Amino acid sequence: MSDGGFVRPVRTEVNRGFWEGVDDGVLRVQRCLGCGELRYPPASRCPRCLDAEWTWQPVSGRGEVLSYVVVHQRYHPAWSDRVPYNVVLVQLDEGPRLISNVLPLSGADLRVGMAVRVVFDDEDGVRVPRFVSTDGTDGATEPN
Amino acid sequence: MGWRRAAISGVGVSRQGKLPDETPNSLAAEAFVAALDDAGLRRENVDGLLTMPGTKSPEGAKHYLALGEQLGINPRITGSLSMGGATAGVLIQQAALAIDAGMASTVACVFGDTAKTGGSRFNAAAGTDTDSWGIWGMFGNAANSAFGAQRHMARYGTTSEQLGWVAVTMREHAALNPDAIMRERITLDDHQSSRMIVDPLHLLDCCIISDGAVAVIVTSPERARDARSAPVDIWGMGQGHTLEKLGRPDWWYLPHQADCVSDAYRMAGVSPADIDVAQLYDNFTISVLFWLEHAGFCAPGEAGPFVEGGKRIRLGGDLPVNTAGGNLSESYMQGWLHVVEGVRQLRGECGPRQVDGARLCLVTGRGMTLNTASCLILGGTA
Repeated sequence: MSDGGFVRPVRTEVNRGFWEGVDDGVLRVQRCLGCGELRYPPASRCPRCLDAEWTWQPVSGRGEVLSYVVVHQRYHPAWSDRVPYNVVLVQLDEGPRLISNVLPLSGADLRVGMAVRVVFDDEDGVRVPRFVSTDGTDGATEPN
Repeated sequence: MGWRRAAISGVGVSRQGKLPDETPNSLAAEAFVAALDDAGLRRENVDGLLTMPGTKSPEGAKHYLALGEQLGINPRITGSLSMGGATAGVLIQQAALAIDAGMASTVACVFGDTAKTGGSRFNAAAGTDTDSWGIWGMFGNAANSAFGAQRHMARYGTTSEQLGWVAVTMREHAALNPDAIMRERITLDDHQSSRMIVDPLHLLDCCIISDGAVAVIVTSPERARDARSAPVDIWGMGQGHTLEKLGRPDWWYLPHQADCVSDAYRMAGVSPADIDVAQLYDNFTISVLFWLEHAGFCAPGEAGPFVEGGKRIRLGGDLPVNTAGGNLSESYMQGWLHVVEGVRQLRGECGPRQVDGARLCLVTGRGMTLNTASCLILGGTA
């Protein structure tokens, strides 16, 4: 993390596979070699069975919006000129949940239960996973 | 009936508001002296000190050291705990258990903060150190509760106006409390037109931020009966914690709140219908709705209609809630004043905001990234 600038992911032995996947345009989560559980956020052991062995498992990147908010308050310098922007809680089809955004960031057309698909967005030189709506489509076509 | 193996014999509250010449510990000392006076105790009677560091306390987990030195206490038991809004309840529970076990006789539980003067913004990003939610612009306490509010609205049809009735009603109660910081009445229109903080939460859905301190003296029921003020017995206690966030699909709904209240009901041998007055943790208006559902005052999804119009939750209603104004309007002491108001209601000390015949009070607290929850059921003897 940095003061004032974009909050950057800090790559560690545990999360490196996630962010390297993002660099390559693939959303991956950890799959526990003990019990098979898919997990996010990255962790050194499985919160279900406590096994310490894992592999990186590509996921479809499809899911639904469990909930969303639109931030109006200027909490952080890197985000102050972007308010209002959305933050979403996404439930991936494969199970794990993650915090992200739906593009466009200022888009007001969000709803709980909305179908979304991952995209990879450049943020100050760092690739981050975000989502776009696939409501009303089969999700197979690229937006834009 | 009820557990009743420990009691609250004194409560003390410092000045509240913006107090730029004070420190968290100078305010904590002020509250401690007031609590001793309320209980009719001398400092030498206190053999336990449990503390919660304020957001502006520099000592962190070593807070008990600095405060104990300031108060001249060399206790049999001590420690500090940071569980946000659940801490008051948890520390009082630890005090009660230590007293019941004979490890201490009279325990002071103390919190002090200068969040207002110090400019605490409650804007930290959740997540892990390396995978901060700040990467996606998710900062602060309001956003976590707003996730819950948005989903409650989508699932159950809860509206922003219904949340507004919580804000309006808490302010009505604060108007009857001379010690409340925000006493000017507000309307539903004021709520609706207040600026958006994290949609769906408006400014008037959010608690205030204050300087101040609170101390609560816990002792045996026998000792409490010798105190200057009427004793209040602890009938039931409970905790519940969902320490996983994204790991739990229902994290946003705080299932641990239901666990902590049901434990307290079981210990007290009472049910929701027995509760005369409730002090429900209200960092945001939506939190009151969650507590009403989790504490069994209404079914899941029905808290919106329950609070609409404020009729049932205001003084004179079926279940008066946050009779001193709560975190939203009285002062933001992270739930400590909820305990104080519960004690005062059960002693019959509340004047124009007194709930007639209040005999049992439910007090709840909740903190961190929605993770921690505590509950006390207090019973009056006045």
